Amino acid sequence: MRSLRLAGRLAARNLRRRPGQALLLLLTLTVATGVLGVATSLLGSADAPWDRVWRATNGFHVSLTVYHPPDEPGDRALVAELRRRATQLTGAPEVTGVGGPWTHLYGSIQVAGGGEDLTAEIRDPGPYQVDQPLVTAGSWLGDGGGVVLESGLAATLRAGPGDTVTIQGRPFPVRGVAMTTSRGRFPLSRPAQVWVTPATAKVLRELGMTEEGFELQLRLADPDAAAGFLAAHEAFQATDQDSSVVSHMETWRQRRADSHSDLDILAGTLLAAGTLIAILTVATAAVLIAGRMAAQVRQVGTLKAVGVTPRQVVLVLLVEHLAVAAVAIALGLGIGRLLAPRIAATSVTVLGTPEPPPLDWARVGAVAAAAVAVVLLGTVRPALRGIRHSTLRSLVAGPRPPRRPGRLARLAARAGVPLPGVLGMRSAWRRPGRLLTNAAGLLLGVAMVVVAMALRDSLELLDVTPPEPGHAASDAAVTVLYDQIRAVILGTAALLLVLGTLNAFIVATFAARDAARNQAILRAVGATPRQTVTALIVSQLGACALAVVAGIPLGLGLWSLMDGGDLPPVTVPAASLLLLAAAVPAVFAAIVGVPAVLLARRPVAPALAYE
Amino acid sequence: MSDGNVLQARGLVRSYQAEGSPIRAVDGVDLVVEAGETVSVMGPSGCGKSTLLHLLGGLERPDAGELYLDGQRVDGLSETAWAVRRRSALGFVFQAFHLVDELTSVENVELPALLLGRSRREARRRAMELLERLGVAGRAGHLPDRLSGGERQRVAVARALVNDPLVVLADEPTGNLDSRATGELLRLFAELREARQALLLVTHDARVASIADRLLTMRDGAIVAQTRLGPGTSAAGVLASLAELGGDG
Repeated sequence: MRSLRLAGRLAARNLRRRPGQALLLLLTLTVATGVLGVATSLLGSADAPWDRVWRATNGFHVSLTVYHPPDEPGDRALVAELRRRATQLTGAPEVTGVGGPWTHLYGSIQVAGGGEDLTAEIRDPGPYQVDQPLVTAGSWLGDGGGVVLESGLAATLRAGPGDTVTIQGRPFPVRGVAMTTSRGRFPLSRPAQVWVTPATAKVLRELGMTEEGFELQLRLADPDAAAGFLAAHEAFQATDQDSSVVSHMETWRQRRADSHSDLDILAGTLLAAGTLIAILTVATAAVLIAGRMAAQVRQVGTLKAVGVTPRQVVLVLLVEHLAVAAVAIALGLGIGRLLAPRIAATSVTVLGTPEPPPLDWARVGAVAAAAVAVVLLGTVRPALRGIRHSTLRSLVAGPRPPRRPGRLARLAARAGVPLPGVLGMRSAWRRPGRLLTNAAGLLLGVAMVVVAMALRDSLELLDVTPPEPGHAASDAAVTVLYDQIRAVILGTAALLLVLGTLNAFIVATFAARDAARNQAILRAVGATPRQTVTALIVSQLGACALAVVAGIPLGLGLWSLMDGGDLPPVTVPAASLLLLAAAVPAVFAAIVGVPAVLLARRPVAPALAYE
Repeated sequence: MSDGNVLQARGLVRSYQAEGSPIRAVDGVDLVVEAGETVSVMGPSGCGKSTLLHLLGGLERPDAGELYLDGQRVDGLSETAWAVRRRSALGFVFQAFHLVDELTSVENVELPALLLGRSRREARRRAMELLERLGVAGRAGHLPDRLSGGERQRVAVARALVNDPLVVLADEPTGNLDSRATGELLRLFAELREARQALLLVTHDARVASIADRLLTMRDGAIVAQTRLGPGTSAAGVLASLAELGGDG
């Protein structure tokens, strides 16, 4: 306990003495925790409004649907048999309420100048034990005909009571608008839905609408027993494999999970992005610690000489970084609470106003685990490496001894590469850990840029592909989702590149500090500032080369995993990849050139002062 | 300026800020070094000897005064122009050796030659020749951390000589050497005179200073005495005389 207090005091002093490093770590950690915070707040933010509608409509616990293609009447005998079996189910002892079975008609409704697939559910005016749609405008079915629109369809049509909609080419008055949890919101969920009375249905049949199946909804004594009920009545789903008739049972929880897939996909993409960023933040933390340990090797030696144990040295660093992580976790969760409702509001599937779920331990734990993992992975190993030297060596040694010249540098010298380039290559492999960390950071950024390029091309192709007949509005809704995912991937690529660049800058700054003495010697024997700047940039370019060489194939590999879904397949043009391969080193050189130029501006004599 | 002067300083001044008040590390120094001449600079610690050497080599900029290298004024040169001048005209030997620790002995020695634009083959030949002459050819492929102090200093001397500079500036070159290595280094410096290369030697050691033609004594940033050394005049004797006159060093 006493050593923890001591560690706390030393950590507080370190934070005050190095606010820049602490801020840098806080910034990178907050980017990761912020993205994860948004993702965790977004996940489930449509559940509360869904639950409200489900309760208000006396929503189902178990739903039984029978469907057959409308242009294939199917096996009428089988459909009749399934209807009989469904009715039998209503007598099960667990069942406390029954809705339906309600017959579904298939047809077409005019949406934005095009035809959309339509299901008209035939209902008597009610009321119903299960799934009493929640009327949000106008009135429910009754005398006088007309249709009630599902709320998503009404929003897409911008239609309300008193307006008319065109079904099967003929106008029908809108009686009302209602919400239900028995199907997802249009247009992301297809087909569009209206409710009609048997009298209106008769007219619709005359206009060519055909039966496509029915739905039966049940409420049980115990909602949590829904999955068990399904398992106990699996036979209902077993239909003839040779028939086109499909029967399907579903619990309310399954329907809820499927009802806002756009938000789930978006949150999943953000989770993946946050994880990638967190991985990169490990690199940043590791680079910061490694650089600091290299600079403080003598101080650590002094601490050890007076009796401080390696464990205590690591503990001080851990306490310091965990304090930074705690702030980053709080900021990340706060950012999540702030942004998630705004992002969720763009969803077309939420039944009302989205609400981020309460901050439970699982959500806080997910964000905190990422930040703590970053700190542990980024701190312990480099700190242990830093204190591994013997106490005597720490007290007397300067920077770590150099390695033998690399084969590449020797070949470059023989090939006539200018001297600064050869000198840079000689020192490139001097700190392999930093080089690889730096490369890993940039590699993720490069890979994500490749994915973003492929995604952009694919979505552009999607934009020019005409929508399938009957799917115009739903295709437009999917495009909105793709646009959001594209924005997340582009944003992630940009963040990863920014963090990778930040890493590169930190590494270059430490490299400049390490190289200060050698650079001063070079200048003393006649190297110009430009030559020393070039040597330092070349010494860092290895990381960039590795990132480009490995990052582009990694990005293409990631894209091939994403490819093959709903997106049109594309091949990233070789010219774009070549441009990327050229642009990344150019930007990298400009970034690492900054500390190199600053070093070259410093006078030579102080760096050569007697050690 | 006479034709034989390779290095000349007029009224060189260099000040530092120390605890808020300026301190003149070099205070109006006038100095001439002729070709082939060996000049020792002695004085107590902190008197400005090393700062003067850095100013003469362009490693620091004077606040005032003029500096001529081989007849050309150089105190206003840019960093790049100074670097180019250093390649051919100056060689440095430091107390801490200051070898590039990533380069082997021979690579350290050939570095100034390569910077001057010599071919790799020629630079390597010249570097090996010097290492041979200085008795460290067997260590040509070793990195500096594998060499003894004496070996490192001989490699540093070889590097200073590789471009046949007009002047070698040596800052406490024997400060980190034992007596045997010091003796070897002094023999090397004596050979420089035969090669008509000037040597400016900053040292604490009167025995080392005695190899010079002239001894400059510095105190508080200024040259307070200038003595031509010869048979019967030792650096130690000169310093003792100065101390008797009221000095401390």
